[in-house]
Amino acid sequence: MTAIPKEQWKERIRDPKIECASRDEMTALQSERLVETVKRVYENVEFYRKKMDDLGVLPGDIKGIEDIGKLPFTTKEDLRDHYPFKLLAVPNERIARVQGTSGTTGKLTVVPYTQRDVDIWGECVARALTMAGLTKEDRIHICYGYGLFTGGMGLDLGVQALGAMAIPMSSGNTKRQMTCMEDFEATAFACTPSYALHLAESMVEEGVVDRLKIRAGIHGAEPWTQEMRKKIESILHINCFDIYGLCEISGPGVAMDCIHQKGLHVYEDYFYPEVLNPVTHEACADGETGELVFTTLMKEALPLLRYRTKDLTDITHGTCDCGRTLPRISKFRGRTDDMKVIRGVNVFPTQVETALLAMGTVAPHYLLIVERENNLDVLTVMVEVDEHYFSDEIRKLDELKTKVGNVLKAALGVSVRVKLVEPKTIERSEGKAKRVIDKRDLS
Amino acid sequence: MISQLSVFVDNRPGSMANITEALSEAGYNIRAFATFDTPEFGILRLVVDKPTEAKEFLTSKGFVVRVQEVIGAELKDERGSLNYMLRKLADGNVNINYIYSFVIRSGKAPVMVLHTGETKEALKLLNEAKVTLVNDDEL
Ligand SMILES: [Zn+2]
Repeated sequence: MTAIPKEQWKERIRDPKIECASRDEMTALQSERLVETVKRVYENVEFYRKKMDDLGVLPGDIKGIEDIGKLPFTTKEDLRDHYPFKLLAVPNERIARVQGTSGTTGKLTVVPYTQRDVDIWGECVARALTMAGLTKEDRIHICYGYGLFTGGMGLDLGVQALGAMAIPMSSGNTKRQMTCMEDFEATAFACTPSYALHLAESMVEEGVVDRLKIRAGIHGAEPWTQEMRKKIESILHINCFDIYGLCEISGPGVAMDCIHQKGLHVYEDYFYPEVLNPVTHEACADGETGELVFTTLMKEALPLLRYRTKDLTDITHGTCDCGRTLPRISKFRGRTDDMKVIRGVNVFPTQVETALLAMGTVAPHYLLIVERENNLDVLTVMVEVDEHYFSDEIRKLDELKTKVGNVLKAALGVSVRVKLVEPKTIERSEGKAKRVIDKRDLS
Repeated sequence: MISQLSVFVDNRPGSMANITEALSEAGYNIRAFATFDTPEFGILRLVVDKPTEAKEFLTSKGFVVRVQEVIGAELKDERGSLNYMLRKLADGNVNINYIYSFVIRSGKAPVMVLHTGETKEALKLLNEAKVTLVNDDEL
């Protein structure tokens, strides 16, 4: 298919009353929902009752959304400490399903949902799919994993709410993905960006690109760059959209970017976003980078107050070119979990990707390896060589290595060892991309 | 001139064999072969029959391949002939990036493969020195 340029895009908005509400209307709705949520968690969740008591805050002190700063924070550790159902705000029998995540530490975080929670989740994803120009006529190929992970289920619920056709492929088996995508005439597909790129490359190899009906890609669940988006878009001739979500809050469909790519619109009628200075916890001004914090406004089973995502971003209010007034969060500047402290310097994998792509020559397949030699941190970046810059002369390859090393050193502030490797040596993940291996034993 | 294939390889066991195996399974004949390596990676240089086809084949197998035009020069089977050729090029101020020889050419004179940044100059010098040059179609 062919990608649709911004100028010819016909914007579709699923719920204009909410998505294009005035600030006053939205504030009123959020205030009403926050007051109700606070009352409910204070009455039903011992953890929050204690926390609020410790802070000397009573439900009656929360009169509107402007009082949100008085409320306690929630962290991932709090969720783990109350594993599996100790933060439940409804009777057990009202749990309709659970989803979860294993996270980086391998310890499970479990999230219960009531039927209404599930419905709202689906509604949010349906809004997101509409933002990608999809309607009930579309066939959406879902190659996110199904299971506890929210990716597959979330998209599926959204497709149901939209009334479109779901192709529930789950992840893996690239060959079969391609066959079904072609045979079932899928018009959109959803998966992680790294898997999308892998699929796109495989499609080129198999020569199936021209036979596909795909016009949109919905990608999220891991950080990706603008360059990666452009690469997928140009290989498949489609429009790609960035979907964001986290299972603690709901799943994919917490935020999504529109065709104008001016940040991801947050569904703030359900998930109230704050961006806070990571040190002082003061609210950041629009455009200022801080930690993204969410308060659920309608969640029944697991309502969360001021959940700290550890994602660094900034927020912008004001009407977008698409007509929506939903605030927009920028692409994440990093996640404290992915961040590696190397010789005292904070290094984010996304910085490496941006620096490599800025050189205009190196494919975005790389892997960072952090090791400790003689008590000194050593950072090695493995970069796959590709045809565009492979030279027949060792001297030129050595020059390339040095150049990559210099660019990365300038971008990261630490010295980097560069290792050029054959294409396809670095493992392509079919779930989340592995960008860093930390071999340091710091115990 | 001869069309040579250069393939990027990791310096690890089996990486060269992967390429030669793929080529021979697909029925390509390897006529000259040389490796240049650093501790981490290397370049495998090959002269094969049907180089354009072989390049496409290797690319489809995921290798990074480049076609490079190189000079093929026949060596007279007599003492000092290699030195004679190199001396002529050196005197003409031509710098050779790399040089290697053909594997086997039964009944024929040995051929050297060489690559230089100054191809035109090198060809002129070799012609003047009466060195026989070999092209793809004569292999
Ligand atoms: Zn917009």
